[in-house]
Amino acid sequence: MRTWDIIGNRRWGYLLSLFVIIPGVVALYVWGINFGIDFTGGTLLNLRLGREASLDQARATLRPFGHEDAVIQKSPESPREILVRTRPLSEEQVAAVERAFAQQYGGTEVLRAERVGPTIGRELRQKAIQAVILGLLLQVVYISIRFRSIRFAIAADIALVHDLLVVIGIFALTRKEVDSSFVAVLLTVVGYSVNDTVVILDRIRENVNLRLREPFDRLVNRSMLEVLVRSLTTGFGAIVALIVLYFFGGPTLRDFVFGLGIGVITGTYSSILVASPVLVEWQRLIDRRQRRPTEVAETASVPELAAVGGNTLPARRRRSRRRR
Amino acid sequence: MLRVFWRVVIGLVILAAVQLAAAPVGFRGWRPYLQTPRLQVNLGLDLQGGSHIVLEAQDTKELKVTAEAVDAAMEVIRNRIDQLGVVEPTIQREGERRIIVELPGVEDPQRALRIIGQTALLEFVNTASQSLPEGATWNAAGTVVTLPDPEKKTIPLKKEVVVTGANLGDARAAFEGGQVNTGQPIVTFQFKGPGAKKFEEFTGSHIGQYLTIVLDNRVISSPVIQGRITGGSGQISGRFTLEEARELAVLLRAGALPVPVEVLERRTIGPSLGRDSLDLSLRAGAIAVVLIITFMIVLYRFPGVLADVALLLYALFLFAALATLRATMTLPGIAAFVISVGMAIDANVLIFERIKEELRAGKTLRAGIQSGWDRAWSAILDSNVTTLVGAAVLFVLGTGPIKGFATTLFIGVLISMFTAIAITRMLVNTASRPPLERYLRFGV
Repeated sequence: MRTWDIIGNRRWGYLLSLFVIIPGVVALYVWGINFGIDFTGGTLLNLRLGREASLDQARATLRPFGHEDAVIQKSPESPREILVRTRPLSEEQVAAVERAFAQQYGGTEVLRAERVGPTIGRELRQKAIQAVILGLLLQVVYISIRFRSIRFAIAADIALVHDLLVVIGIFALTRKEVDSSFVAVLLTVVGYSVNDTVVILDRIRENVNLRLREPFDRLVNRSMLEVLVRSLTTGFGAIVALIVLYFFGGPTLRDFVFGLGIGVITGTYSSILVASPVLVEWQRLIDRRQRRPTEVAETASVPELAAVGGNTLPARRRRSRRRR
Repeated sequence: MLRVFWRVVIGLVILAAVQLAAAPVGFRGWRPYLQTPRLQVNLGLDLQGGSHIVLEAQDTKELKVTAEAVDAAMEVIRNRIDQLGVVEPTIQREGERRIIVELPGVEDPQRALRIIGQTALLEFVNTASQSLPEGATWNAAGTVVTLPDPEKKTIPLKKEVVVTGANLGDARAAFEGGQVNTGQPIVTFQFKGPGAKKFEEFTGSHIGQYLTIVLDNRVISSPVIQGRITGGSGQISGRFTLEEARELAVLLRAGALPVPVEVLERRTIGPSLGRDSLDLSLRAGAIAVVLIITFMIVLYRFPGVLADVALLLYALFLFAALATLRATMTLPGIAAFVISVGMAIDANVLIFERIKEELRAGKTLRAGIQSGWDRAWSAILDSNVTTLVGAAVLFVLGTGPIKGFATTLFIGVLISMFTAIAITRMLVNTASRPPLERYLRFGV
């Protein structure tokens, strides 16, 4: 089997990550996130009209109510449906708008009508931030405990922040609307990313414990290749499922599934090209501090990692005990 | 012998799961009969249509919101909803002063909201020689009346309440003079107990004066007292439509809210969108599962088939668990189901890849399977626990459909760990003996 030198080429990975993240961060800074009414408060009306109405016609229907700032959308697949988003309206106003559409376009059917007060929106935003931070923290704690090494936890965490930046950045870039289910997307991405990273870290841990005299970056590279098939298989399986949901799951789920798909791709990518390289860079840094000017990575050996990171895991011992 | 015992146990567990998830056998008392299997999982509002309403109790001058007041308000709201004829509403308290109302399949959500959210405090006010037009409003302190458009004038007038709606025994919509075709819709009411007596005494001593009927500080009508009203029954005639008269009667029968409530959030999913979402997502889920099953067979051949059997059992157990816990399946929940199917195969992929490695390293089939399982375990555990942590956070902090997502994900990951480890392992171990063992190649 040909061996790929992934670690040796890791700088290309950094470049690719920056290539995706920088535009996203710029978009985030310039445009911000396109928060939906869940977060801002407002009214959403999704109507199926008796006959098709163009966007301009729909806007004209809304005009007497003074909703110039309303956002009106249509999807090409279902031309008789319109989606109106505006600031919070009273129930009477909502009813009046529905009546106006019903009169002009031969009846309406209310598919979805939502009204969210500004307080709820603010709370939801707080809760969303809380949820993501809490989720991140708890997972770092778990990894720190299981791997007995803050270094592994931080590597997993950097990969995680990378993935969140990619997903949030792409949502900012595409101006996709972010609703409460986006929080679920983020946390699932967190879960998937950590899951995938942990599998690689687990193999690195196992190989470190074998204490072969092997340079650390070689060891990481080997570990990655050993689990690469499973990473790609699982990632591929998940993507297949998500693609099916995207195309056949109906419009309501689409953005949700889109976010998850981005998350799965970047989650798989980041375990290979972010989390593992971080461990290697860290090791190089330590080696350099110890003043070994050249060929640091090549001579860095595993026991040092164990000494610094406290990586003497009883995992193997436990395993053999179970085997009796 | 022991092996046979376990097989019987697993067989029984599977049968029980089928019954819990789809109920192919119904019971009349203790007599069982066969019926068409149907998924026994509760559908969320986003899949069956309905309204989700969040109310918040508001402080008033006289009354701060207390736990008792909110409880009492919930009781009143429950009474009102019962009169609307909603099947299986849920009314929950959230935090100190919020009430969450979920109404599956409501036809007219705006009407439901009017009925649920109104304070509906009915007052009979002594306005002596002053007649007030319909639509005039009192300020909260009950000291100043604002006349309706076009006058918009304010006049100082103390609100001297004689009796309130709390003393009502019954209220019905009717037609003036009993004339269904020509009569104006009215609301007839009946005072009970001390209210009736008070009403009779007051009307007897104030003949010729105005007794103004006020609902939530808004004047409905201001009739002249013609004579002593005995027996405690009377009628309210405003300019009602029949619909409005009926609503008012419902409100008066159910009683007033002890504190006013404000609608913070209202989400309605129309029944057709709900049905579409359900059909589409179930179809998509089924396609995804079929693809994943095919994928596993293509990748691993015979072991892939074993993993697929475990996967189908996983789906069965998940639905049985959701039905048993009375969890609600939402649209994101179906997505969570598909994701958890992905996670379920992940455990198998991890194990099979590991076995493959062990076999490549020259171990025998039995030894390879054994050590592959042992070594894959720590990765499976760690990766699943991290997902569980995320799901738990979502469950605690999320609401509505997101909670449904978290529930399904959490239970799904737990069960997938069980099936990947217990079921697949049992199947693979069974197959690792002749005559099946020659099919167990794991692609090596």
